[in-house]
This record gives sequence, C-alpha cells and structure tokens, in this order.
Amino acid sequence: MRKLFFYVPLALFLLLTVFLLSGLFSDPRERESASLNKALPEFALADLMQPQQIWTPQQLHGETFLLNVWGTWCPTCNAELGYLTELRKQGVKIVGLYYELPRDPTFDTPFNLKTLQQDVAQKLQQNGDPYQFNILDLERSLSLDLGVSGAPETFLVDADGIVRAHHIGDINPRIWRAKLAPLYQQWSQP
Amino acid sequence: MIVEAGQLALTFAFALSLLLAILPLYGSFVANQRMLLLAKPLALGQFLFCLLAMLALIYAFRTNDFTVVNVAQNSSTTLPWYYQITASFGSHEGSMLLWVLMLAGWTALVAQFSKALPLLLLGRILGILGIICVGFIAFSLFMSNPFERSLPFFPVEGRDLNPLLQDFGMIMHPPTLYMGYVGFAVAFAFAIAALMGGRFDSVWARWVRPWALAAWLFLTLGIMLGSWWAYNELGWGGWWFWDPVENASFMPWLAGTALIHSLAVTEKRGTFKSWTVLLALAAFALSLVGAFLVRSGVLVSVHSFATDPGRGMYLLVFLLLVVGGSLLLYGMRMNSVRSQARYQLFSREMVLWGNNIFLLTACLIVFLGTLFPLFHKELGLGSISIGEPFFNQMFYYLTIPFALMLGLGPWVRWKQQQFTPLVKPLGLVAVASLVLALGVLASMQSVQANLALLGMLLGAWVGVSALAEVMLRMRQFGSVTQGMTKLNASHYGMTLAHIGFAVLVIGVAMTKTYTEERDVRMEEGDTATLAGYQFTLVDVYDLDGPNYGGQAAELDVRKDGRYITHLHAEKRFYRIQRTIMTEAAVHARLSRDLYVSLGEELPGNAWALRIQVKPFVRWIWLGGLLMSLGALLALADKRYRRKTPPAIKQEVANA
Repeated sequence: MRKLFFYVPLALFLLLTVFLLSGLFSDPRERESASLNKALPEFALADLMQPQQIWTPQQLHGETFLLNVWGTWCPTCNAELGYLTELRKQGVKIVGLYYELPRDPTFDTPFNLKTLQQDVAQKLQQNGDPYQFNILDLERSLSLDLGVSGAPETFLVDADGIVRAHHIGDINPRIWRAKLAPLYQQWSQP
Repeated sequence: MIVEAGQLALTFAFALSLLLAILPLYGSFVANQRMLLLAKPLALGQFLFCLLAMLALIYAFRTNDFTVVNVAQNSSTTLPWYYQITASFGSHEGSMLLWVLMLAGWTALVAQFSKALPLLLLGRILGILGIICVGFIAFSLFMSNPFERSLPFFPVEGRDLNPLLQDFGMIMHPPTLYMGYVGFAVAFAFAIAALMGGRFDSVWARWVRPWALAAWLFLTLGIMLGSWWAYNELGWGGWWFWDPVENASFMPWLAGTALIHSLAVTEKRGTFKSWTVLLALAAFALSLVGAFLVRSGVLVSVHSFATDPGRGMYLLVFLLLVVGGSLLLYGMRMNSVRSQARYQLFSREMVLWGNNIFLLTACLIVFLGTLFPLFHKELGLGSISIGEPFFNQMFYYLTIPFALMLGLGPWVRWKQQQFTPLVKPLGLVAVASLVLALGVLASMQSVQANLALLGMLLGAWVGVSALAEVMLRMRQFGSVTQGMTKLNASHYGMTLAHIGFAVLVIGVAMTKTYTEERDVRMEEGDTATLAGYQFTLVDVYDLDGPNYGGQAAELDVRKDGRYITHLHAEKRFYRIQRTIMTEAAVHARLSRDLYVSLGEELPGNAWALRIQVKPFVRWIWLGGLLMSLGALLALADKRYRRKTPPAIKQEVANA
C-alpha cells in the first residue's frame, strides 16, 4: 500500500498529460453554440443601406449562406473582408449582420445612420465587399439571440434557415478549407 | 555574418549540452572520474556559447537586420535602442533563447559554486541539468529558431515591437521571471541526483536550500514586476488578473514557497524527505507546465505567443519525459526512504506541515481554476470559464487561517512546544496588532467590519508577531545588540519575508475595499472631484514620439485647495503596429496612488478620463519586494558557504 502511494503523483501527472494532449488539438476559442441545428431566431431588421427594406428569416430561405457578424470598428473583421470577397466570387452567398457597438449616452455621439453608411461604404470599397446585403442589428437583439460573443463570427445557415455551424473568429483560407468548406458543401447539396 | 555566428554558437551549445547530458551521468555509474570531471568545463562552455548566441541576436536587433524574420516581425528602425534590445526576447523565438541562456547560466553557476559538493553528486546534478538543456536548446534550434532568415525577399522596415512590451517593466519582467522558472531546475536536478543515490539528509537539504531560495527570489521579483507592469501599462489600474499565464507563474511560486519551508524541516530535523523531494520536482514541473500552456495555445490568454501545434507537441513530449520520468523514479525510490525524527502534535514541524498543506491547496485551486475549463471541454461537457470571483473567494478563505498560522509559526519550537509559555507573548502580540489595525483605520475615519479591517488585523498580526519574535530571540542572547549579531542571516530573512507577506495582505485588502474610481468627461479647465482630490484638466496636446503619436493630458491635482501634484497621462498611437496604448499617470505615495488614464476624444473638445484613487496599492509590490529581500538575506547566511567536513564528504561519495 505504502509503495503504491508514491506512484500517485505520477498517475495524476499522466492523467494531466492526456488532457493537455487532447487540448493541443482543439481550438480553445471554440464553443458549442446554443443556436446550432436550430432555426434562425425570429427577427425583423432593417437593411443597413436601404433602411426601408425589412429582413425576416423567411426571406432568407432557399439557399445556403454565411451570416457574417461584423463591424467597421473591428480590425479582424476588416481583415477578413478580402478573403470573404474572394469566396463571394467563388459563388458563396454571404449576408452581413452589422453589429453596432453600444453607445454611452454621456460620452458618445448619438447614432447616425448616414455616417455609419458612409463609413461602411468606405471600408467595403477599400477591402472588398463580400456581402449580398447587410442587416443592421442596432440593438444587438439578433446577435444576442444567436449567442454572438464578439466579432467576427460566422454562422452557416442552410436553405431551410437552420443554423448548421457557428465559427468564432476570422475566416482565412486555412479555416475555410479545414472547417467551413466541407460543411458548406454538405449543407448546400439539395 | 554575425547572425550565422549566433546560429553556429547555438549549435555548439547544443553539442556541448549533449555531451553534458551523457558523459558525467555515464561516468557516475561506471565510476569514471575523468568523465565526471568533464561536467564543469562542459557546463561553462555551454553557457559561453549560449551567451554568444544571445549577443548575436541582440546585435541583429540593434543593426536592424530585417533579413532575420524575428527582427523584421518584432522591431523597427524607429524603435528606441533599449527597446530594440528587449525586443530580442519579446517574441516566442527570442524568449526561448533567453530561457535557454538562463538555464545554461544556472548550470554554469552550479558548476562554479559547488566546490563543497562530492564529485559524483555534482556530476549527476550537472548531467541532469544537461538533459534539460538538450531539450530546450534543441527546441530553440529546430522548432523555433530565432535566427531564421527571410532571404531573398526581406522587408525594408520591421513590424515594430508590440507596444504593450514597450515599457520599463517589460525590460525587467521576463528575465527575472525566467530566472525564477528556470532556477527551479537546479533544485529539480538536486532532487533527481539524490533519488539516484538514494540519500536525502540534512547535508543534502543544506546544499539545495540556497538554490531553491535564489530561484524563489527571482520568481517573486518577476511576478511582482509583471504585476507592476500591468498596472502601469494596461490602463485600468488592475494589478492581478488571474489570467492563465499569470497563474502559470503563480503555481511554481506556491510550490516553491512550500519547498523552501519544507527544506527547512529536512535540513533541521532530517524529516519530511518525501515531501521535500516531491515539492522540488513539482516546482520545476509546474514551471514546465506553465511554459507548455503559454507556448502551445491550449489556453487563451493575453500573454500567449503565436500558436503552433508542432511546438506544443514537442513541449508535451519533453514534459512527459522529464516530469514523467522523474515522478517514476520518485515512485520507485522513495518508498525505501524512512524518516526517523519524532515530533509532537504541537511543534514547528507540524506548523510547517500546515503551511505546506495550505500552500499546496492554494496551488491546487489555481491549477484547477486554470485547467478546469480545458478538462470540462475535453470531456465533452461544453465550454465554461472560471474567472476572478472564484479565485478571489478561494484565496479569501485560504488567507485567513494561513495568516493566523503564519503569525504563530516562528514562535513554535522544533519537536515539541508547550502551550503555556506562548500565551503571554502571543496575547500581547494579538492586543498590539488589534490596537495597530484599529488605530490606522481610525486615523482614516473608516473603521467598519469589512475586508479592509480583516486585512489590517491579519497583516498586523503577522507583522507584529514576526517583529516581536525576532526581538525576543535577540534578548535570549543577553542584550539586543549582542543578539543582533548572534542571530543568523536566514532568521532575519524569514522575518523580513513574513513582514513582506503582512504588507502584501494589507495592500490587497485596502486597495480592494477603498479604491474609488470615476469615468468623467472633461474639457480643458474642468475639475472632477474624487475622494477629496480635485483633478483639473489643464491641457491636452498632440504627442510626437519616436515610433508613436497620440495625445497627452496635463492635470493638476489639489486637495482642499492645496496643490498636490501634476499628472501627465498619455494615449499613444503606435504607427507601425496601429495600436492604441494607454500610459497612465500615476502619483504614488505609500498611503495611496492617484491614477489617471486618458480615454477617447469626445465631441465638443472634451476627453474621457478614468480617475482612480487607490489606497495602499504600493503595499502590494512593497510586500513582494520585502519577500525577495528576505530571500536575499537568507541567502547571505554563512552556513551555506561552510565547507563540508571531509568525513561527510566521504560518506556521501560512497552513497
């Protein structure tokens, strides 16, 4: 008994290495999304560029697409615009969900749609425009329902409006090939 | 040219480390004295070549040699010269070379300053350090080469050093921290060598103690500097974040603290052997686990280096071999070791045992808190995160009994202690600390039943008790002046370190309770009042630094109309990296810090400012500093430099 006692540290350490090993091959930022394999939550939000156009989930049915949460304030989002534009050219449908940052009533300028539109247009002209259109989530209600924890994040939504993948972080060639492209193929087949 | 020479130097260092890892150890088993004698020159040579490699890298940074990938990505021509030097260890590759240099440095120190050690034991210790060197030099050479060139296409300007790292604290923080981490390799090697020989006695413990103390000293300083750096550089006045990487440095510190206490028992009483050896293994093992966590990307943290599964895999295999191997040896050898010493329930041994239990519990809490999210996810239970509230609450519960026991500890005798003789002095200490704590708080007009009161009471108890104990000991030698010279340096060191802990506890409790903070919108000429201080924004103007622009704000601070100080807060925009950094303005006094950070420009010629008044926050770092000084004092103890009597030398050599 006493003999085995001195092997306890070794046993605990080996157990630890098993976890460290498996941790090495999984992305620490990856989280299980609560919205996975469920229909898009209900919403009725205005288009960013044509505010009279109101988008609802039903209007998005019929084609698999990427819902990309972004904002001009987010450097990583701006960085991925280029690659997303390339994907658009390859025929991937991408819809933007514009995530507007909360404003402090005392410090910040009040929200102004005109300035934002100019800002967005300028960014998209600089870096490329991957979006079919942009949905403006001014109150961040849809982002909240989807379980968005920051930007950029991307959801893969199938033709029936079911969320099939939730990617946190930017999309680059490596991530697209390794993770999202297979899923996109799988869910865009009729 | 110089860069290639650096590469070559590192290759030579690798060759020497291979020889060091093989020859002396082999020699120790076949009783070949010549092989054992090779250990010292090999260790010194290895250090020399590592040093040359580091100098070559620094040279590449100073000469803006952007053909080297590492330089191009972490430096620029506009970077001030001192940051060009520190940039050489700002990246993963460079910091790994620094790590290697420190490891080789410790090895050389052991080789140089262990004349008292039997040749066989020294050969084994250096051989084991050689094995660790092989692992890390190979990692630096093959997995993350700092000298890699990007020829033929190289940039004309570098991408600059991460602005977060452009700070004085950053010049000091990594080297000291690494000295600490790597320093535990020495205690580790001593433990393994002892496991091989099967001998752990007071003599062995006395040999290890100064090395463990030195490593602990550097680790304490390194952690403290890191905290100070975060306070000045991250812009919101925090000093500890329970970030995974901070935790990775805190765990070896806790194990190391337990180790230096446990070593005291092994040295004085020849017991706690299995405990001490395990702690010596654990302190270094936790340093390695920390290195793995930071460099593999398993955990997300602000400190993380770029992630690469290949590097992570290498480190994990290395970890498995070194730590797994040593724990296996521990399991095989330790069961034959017996401790004979007897002691009663109330004795110094038991108090120190309690100390170890608390420190290891703390270590376990940090360990679980840091890694639980990983376990949880890998078991398929989904993602969770464990944050500050968990750690704060746990440490709140742990600190109370720990501090109470710490006040008691130094009074208790070895073997056996009667209760009655302690009642009077400790009663007096209790009364004195109560008066002191209440007095200080009353002078601030804030006696309330809160965390600050608790912290003050515990801090005063530990501090007063430590002082009273050392006074009493001196008087035992006759007069105080007589006793002052009789008492050995390690006793003063202990007292100073314990007072440091008291100061730290007071600092944490007071800061946590009485920090006041306000976010304000100010135009030039506006005044904001916080905790009785009037902050007036005098001027805001544009900055023009060597590699940054931005704005600076000038503030005048008054209290009751009396001028206190002038504050200068900056918001820098680093041009190449395109990042904004806050340089907080801090006016530091022992009793409080005034802390102002400049925020966004607001419409209407106004600025957002964050103003904080943080009482006693200096005490946190002062406490850390006192602890390090305590360790330094203890290192100066004469008995670590005494020559081993030839009789013992012979005995150990035969072991």
